[in-house]
Amino acid sequence: MYRYEVALMMNERRLTNSFKSYIGLDDNEQISSCETSFIEQEFSPKLHPGETIVAEARNVYLFTPVNEEKISQSGVLFVTNFRLSFVTWREKNFEESLYQENLLLGQYDVCLSNIDIIYLLTGDKKKRIMTDHCFNDKVNGLHILCRNMRTLSYSFKSLTNGHGKKLANALLHHAFPKRHQLLFAYDYRGPNVQRRTYSTPSFRCQDDWEKELKRTKCFGWTLNSSNNKFQLSTNLPQFIVIGSAVIDNQLRIAMQHFRNERLPTWCWSTVNGAALSRKSDVVDPSNLTQENAMLEIVRKSHPCLARPFIMDLTKILPSPKDVSQSFIKLRELCAPESTRQFWVQDNHFYSLLEKSKWLQYVSSCLGSAFETAYKLNGNTSVVLQERDGRDLCCVVSSLAQLMIDSYFRSIVGLQTLIQKEWVVMGHQFCTRLGHINNTDSLKSPLLLLFLDCVWQLLQQFPTKFEFTETYLTTLWDTSHISIFDTFLFDCEQDRHHATNDGTNPLILRSIWNWEEQFLDRDLIQFHNPLYNASNAKDELLKVSTEISCLNIWTQCYYRFLPTLEISNGGKPLEDIAIRTIINESVKHSKSSQKVCTPPNIGSFFPFTHWRSSTSVPPSTLTISSLSLNTSDFQMETSLVEITEHL
Amino acid sequence: MDLNNKFQNMSSDSDSKSSSLNSKVEQESESNSPTKSRRSTSSTSNEMSTVGDIKLRNKISENVPSGRSDDPPLLPGEKVQGVARDVTYLCPFSGPARGGLSVTNYKLYFKSLERDTQLVIEVPLGVVSRVEKVGGQSSRGENSYGIELFCKDMRNLRFGHKQENHSRRNVFEKLQQYAFPLSHNIPLFAFEYTETFSENGWNVYEPMAELKRMGVPNDTWHITKLNDSHDLCETYPAILAVPAGATDEIIRNAAAFRSRGRIPVLSWLHSESQATITRASQPLVGVGGKRCRDDERYTQLIVDANAQSHKLYIMDARPSANAIANKAKGGGYEPEDAYQNAELIFLDIHNIHVMRESLRKLKEICFPNIDETKWLSGIESTYWLKHIKCVLAGACRIVDKVENHKTSVLVHCSDGWDRTAQLTALAMVLLDPYYRTIKGFEVLIEKEWLSFGHKFQHRIGHGDDHHSDADRSPVFLQFIDCVWQVTCMFPNAFEFNELFLITIIDHLYSCRFGTFLFNSEKERLQKEVKQKTVSLWSYINSDQDLYKNPLYWPQQHALEPVASLRYIKMWKGLYCRWNPSMRPQEPIYQRTRELLHMKTQLIKISDDYRRELKHKASRNTSTTNRLTSPIHI
Repeated sequence: MYRYEVALMMNERRLTNSFKSYIGLDDNEQISSCETSFIEQEFSPKLHPGETIVAEARNVYLFTPVNEEKISQSGVLFVTNFRLSFVTWREKNFEESLYQENLLLGQYDVCLSNIDIIYLLTGDKKKRIMTDHCFNDKVNGLHILCRNMRTLSYSFKSLTNGHGKKLANALLHHAFPKRHQLLFAYDYRGPNVQRRTYSTPSFRCQDDWEKELKRTKCFGWTLNSSNNKFQLSTNLPQFIVIGSAVIDNQLRIAMQHFRNERLPTWCWSTVNGAALSRKSDVVDPSNLTQENAMLEIVRKSHPCLARPFIMDLTKILPSPKDVSQSFIKLRELCAPESTRQFWVQDNHFYSLLEKSKWLQYVSSCLGSAFETAYKLNGNTSVVLQERDGRDLCCVVSSLAQLMIDSYFRSIVGLQTLIQKEWVVMGHQFCTRLGHINNTDSLKSPLLLLFLDCVWQLLQQFPTKFEFTETYLTTLWDTSHISIFDTFLFDCEQDRHHATNDGTNPLILRSIWNWEEQFLDRDLIQFHNPLYNASNAKDELLKVSTEISCLNIWTQCYYRFLPTLEISNGGKPLEDIAIRTIINESVKHSKSSQKVCTPPNIGSFFPFTHWRSSTSVPPSTLTISSLSLNTSDFQMETSLVEITEHL
Repeated sequence: MDLNNKFQNMSSDSDSKSSSLNSKVEQESESNSPTKSRRSTSSTSNEMSTVGDIKLRNKISENVPSGRSDDPPLLPGEKVQGVARDVTYLCPFSGPARGGLSVTNYKLYFKSLERDTQLVIEVPLGVVSRVEKVGGQSSRGENSYGIELFCKDMRNLRFGHKQENHSRRNVFEKLQQYAFPLSHNIPLFAFEYTETFSENGWNVYEPMAELKRMGVPNDTWHITKLNDSHDLCETYPAILAVPAGATDEIIRNAAAFRSRGRIPVLSWLHSESQATITRASQPLVGVGGKRCRDDERYTQLIVDANAQSHKLYIMDARPSANAIANKAKGGGYEPEDAYQNAELIFLDIHNIHVMRESLRKLKEICFPNIDETKWLSGIESTYWLKHIKCVLAGACRIVDKVENHKTSVLVHCSDGWDRTAQLTALAMVLLDPYYRTIKGFEVLIEKEWLSFGHKFQHRIGHGDDHHSDADRSPVFLQFIDCVWQVTCMFPNAFEFNELFLITIIDHLYSCRFGTFLFNSEKERLQKEVKQKTVSLWSYINSDQDLYKNPLYWPQQHALEPVASLRYIKMWKGLYCRWNPSMRPQEPIYQRTRELLHMKTQLIKISDDYRRELKHKASRNTSTTNRLTSPIHI
């Protein structure tokens, strides 16, 4: 029953420290004590500037999720002001080439902001711990459920001196901060190097908006800076684009009639002049004068003075609360507690999936977005309307733009879109992602819902997007790293105040500086080998939005379940095969006649977190074929020229 | 706001939907393809906008210049038997369309010229399982009088006829005759069909060559001639590989103890470990718990043939309850005390009747309309995917024992020609990369399914009008579905693509080729199938490019799919293909061709370039410029 696993890969020096790995610890089981004294430097996480260790515990066992054999590995568990870090002696060499390596987080680390629920393990039972809990008794183990569906189970059974209790209390205290200033972003002192590769307009300056207006050849709408000191609205950005017919002194009065001051603001225009705009509900439904006046202005902004189509998202789409409940059910399916539960769920997987309503919501968002894009394509202006105009407006407006404007289908394009429709337009990331522990606020993964919709588009149009599913999954992961400001705030004013705080001003770090997190080797995985920028056309993507045409995003949702990894299979190998085909031409001068065998990677690559000990360490494999792709330019040109040949 | 409206608006331009790359491929195929008249599938309507359709339309305009424009294109040996003009096809997706309906000795052909986009319905009559008249002379209402066809490929077709002069009588009679020729003493179309191909598919499978490929005969396995004239077992092939130590007497006695004489014989041999997969039928244990020393001895010889392990796993495909129930009928399973080194495992796969019912339910949720609100729970309620999972999980267990534990496995169910064939064939696909090539897969079907007597005639009911025959069951379809599931999990591991599998399924029913006709090798020999009909593999192998997976990247090791419903999905490309809204966005065949083409281009370019390099090198010229921009030639 209990399997003792001996870690094989150790260097000589570590061997002398004679550790063992203990598996399947049971209450009655005698644990042979570890006589080792770990060498300090080796078994502590590499701390980032500004990061401090709050608590640590040695001889902690981390279990493989959902595994009958209860395989574990031992190491030291740390709580810092940034993360929960597990440092193990397990060799890293061969794994390094296969896993996406985040420069800020080790393979078994999670950022505190990613921790959603902490369970206390007692025997086979789990008890959910509330944030105001205080551990007084010996803590035997913890089970952590993360927002990105990762689960981590630790056993503290071989700990003495109340180390487990201390660590648990420290974790509970730090994982659920009550104030924004307690987030690690305020303490982090790492270098802030701006790189150009993925440089994305922030839409925090007039210039970015003007360029976008120019790019879309927008007319009838004007950039307005009356809110540049947030004097008109605390949740709108400093610059907004409004109907040209709105006069400045009319603006303040008009805004007061809309919830969150969100009168129709411009999102995007077609070449023919139809515009996409978004607004909130009016404050007083019995007084529609201002709303009518504003919609009249939208009409006047259309070159044919055509009436806009108004899409009331509150009526046709799930509320943020619905999305939240749906996500919890979906996560139950993707992060089962035990092998037994896994197989019980498996028998009813399809009906459970249906009950989660997740795909239904994906379908309705795609449907609304398609309808929007279709109307715009037919030169009808569309006004998206939602109660507060800050949640599903973001989802639908950005999806519609992806469907109709190929500019947004590149990596920087998608980032531009998120920056424009989500970040500066005040999607409440801090609230929705739950960065701050506040019982009043509603967590809801609308960003994930959006990314899932984008993933569905990518499945249906595999050559039309520059990014890959790995990029989308990484984006979701990164939204839970409390170093970057992009997804940290509820609105621009909050961000503005944080940066101008006299005592501890926040240094802004954009998530789009991907080089801060990843090496080129991993960044390559963001680029879709089938995408051809020069072939990008502004045709409307006629997406199928029915549930029967949608799929479950296996990479993002299943990757933490080792049982579900298909070894030597899945999409990653497909991508590598495509890259190889493309590279054959780039490299053909080198007579690449040799038949290379496919690399030994699994379907969750580059998110394989656990490999069974029996799997063969890959040799030189992927690197050789992947590194061929470092030059995107070459890839591009070869594709272009090849398609010209066709 | 109205979504339906949206789709109506869209449907008008849906035919111009293909991307520019797609249209390039089309042009390409029109101008370059030497095999213009070939169809990608046997039974596509224009609801499926495939490359094949485009080719078909070409053919009509070129080859039948004098006839009516709605005359059907004919295959060699095909003759028009009946025609009805002014018929309405009641399309469940795009509404009624008027046109001409023809019945040949091979197919039903309907063409409507009424619409902007041509509507062509082509159904090989082998696909039809039932033809019925709808309404009578007194029926009222538009299109209430006509014919309805129920097909084995998940669709139904309804035609409305004019209520005068018995306008449907002729085509109805012809449909009855040619859809069910065996019930009317007419030969199957395969025996009339005379097209010739550059490849001869009957040569694909040579039993001796295939055994030799696996290294048989050798020290432990030899080839017995006992079944040369199908006397030992009439549903087995003439050539059988058995343990070298098995004497003729042992074999004969063991055969007497196995249902229908289907003794354990070799299906596959692991070239390194010598672990084997053998297949058989159930032992005739009965309620009395009969034993047969020679069958036990024979089984021990299988154990002994593998030096790596002293154990044999007997995988009984059935649920244990069914296996026990079979004792009452004289069958049963191997008692572990009698078969000492054997461990018995039940794989819980249900019988042919359960599978037939499951497919019937599947058709209900797929055709014609899909209830989006209950799509997922609807899939679950058919149990189809659960059955697929069971077969796949069983094959995975076999693979695990053979590959990871180097232990031999004996597979059987009751008769050993349905579930057993599914399991051995699927396990072999997973274990042996050869069976993942086009030729290898053809060999596999010839060997594990055809030669070992899967009763295709009974399971499909070729040319037979007993549509509710209890012998019919989608066993082979399930196997192909399992293979498709595996191709989805391992997109690089197979030389063939989805079209290859769909084409096999189409011609499983079509009766155009002799391949899937009759129940056993013996019957096929008697009917001279090889001499008198064309093999499906002739057709496929003459234009292999169509069926190639551009991303094929051979892997030498065994595949270990994950048999979880979280991965097993509905094969929409097969079961829902008649529904235009389920059409893939970037049609997979076109994408495949595109990629394949790109690959050939690349290889050509690099070959040309290499040649030039050599040439230049011989002239001692610098090549540095070329290296930096290698594409320009």
